[in-house]
Amino acid sequence: MTALRTKDDQAFGYLYDHYSGALYSVVKQIVGDAEVSNDVLQETFVNIWRKIELYDESKGRLFTWMLNIARNAAIDKTRSKSFQQSSRQQPIMEADGAYGTVKPGVDDFGLKKVLQKLKDEQRLLIDLSYFQGYTHEQISKALDIPLGTVKTRIRTALTQLRTLLQ
Amino acid sequence: MNVKEYINSGIVESYVMGFATDAERQEFEQMCATYPEIAGARDAFERSLETRLMQDAVAPPPYLKEKIVQVITPLVAGNGLEEESTQAPVRRMNVWKLLAAACFIGLLGIGYWAYTTNEKNKELETSRAATEKQLQQSTAQLESLQQEADMMMKPGVKMVSLKGTAMAPQAQTTVFWDTTGTKDVYLMVNNLPQPASDKQYQLWALLNGKPIDLGMLEVKEKHLLVKMKNVQNAQAFAITLEEKGGSPTPKGQMYVVGNL
Repeated sequence: MTALRTKDDQAFGYLYDHYSGALYSVVKQIVGDAEVSNDVLQETFVNIWRKIELYDESKGRLFTWMLNIARNAAIDKTRSKSFQQSSRQQPIMEADGAYGTVKPGVDDFGLKKVLQKLKDEQRLLIDLSYFQGYTHEQISKALDIPLGTVKTRIRTALTQLRTLLQ
Repeated sequence: MNVKEYINSGIVESYVMGFATDAERQEFEQMCATYPEIAGARDAFERSLETRLMQDAVAPPPYLKEKIVQVITPLVAGNGLEEESTQAPVRRMNVWKLLAAACFIGLLGIGYWAYTTNEKNKELETSRAATEKQLQQSTAQLESLQQEADMMMKPGVKMVSLKGTAMAPQAQTTVFWDTTGTKDVYLMVNNLPQPASDKQYQLWALLNGKPIDLGMLEVKEKHLLVKMKNVQNAQAFAITLEEKGGSPTPKGQMYVVGNL
């Protein structure tokens, strides 16, 4: 950690070699496109490097901290105009009930593969919130489910995720 | 609050995965600080998530690392300098080297300065000597001119203009003769043809038709007047061109003549 805080370039090499694969996997699951994923991974590591002083060990593990930076960078990218114009991603409002019947993809990997074991409605909520970055309020409006229910279902899904990961 | 219930509420996962609202996050951090059990649950979930994601890692394209390193290198390099400064031995040696180099350059500079100053000094001395000599010459010249002027302005000095004869119509000289004092005679050459190298002009005073030798004309540069021999009485002055060294009586051609 000390090496990271002093921004030792060897420390960066270690950080990248060790964690880039896991973060890249998550980024790819959110963004989809490989080219864009590369850009997001670059932004992620530049951000990690810039903000490393802000990392607080008492609040969690380094990987968790980096994972959230990667996820935020990826979601920011999917929200950007240029990305939306070039992708087939549909706004949540137009998704209609399609999400209710979302099927586990054969090419799913990583966290998404773990999520396949969840019930469809739970997987949908995790997918919308975690991988697409919608807020609970947005999901509530879009799926016409009370906000409290959205929160409860997501919480339930998350506790099951814990079991699945163990 | 029931800690176990809190742990199983899903807040742990919500916090770790970034779903928690600001208020929930603050509360959870507070709870973690208070209850090690909660912090332990958080750590356990973090580890299991990390383990899973590490297993599912997808290697990014190899060239990407180099690209990212280039982007962040300015940040690394900026820090690298600071780190070097803490390497005391290297730094100290550099300081001595720098000092030695600075001294050497300083010596070179002083040497060059001394050399150029000496050269300049020599130049100035030469110039000063030349100027002094010139000043002496000028002063002497001025003094002699002053004397000549004084002589010309003395009361009793007669000025006789000697006009060119048919031999040399353009020729002209002037005689200043101190009639009341020393009887000194001075000749001013306004215009006389350059004589051949074996010839010389000779000045004569004429008294009752007889010529009196007043000496040979030896023109001195930068002098208005040439002092000739004294004469007690004269009615006219004339110059003839004679053999070099002169003649007791005028034999050559007369060039100028003027009556009192």
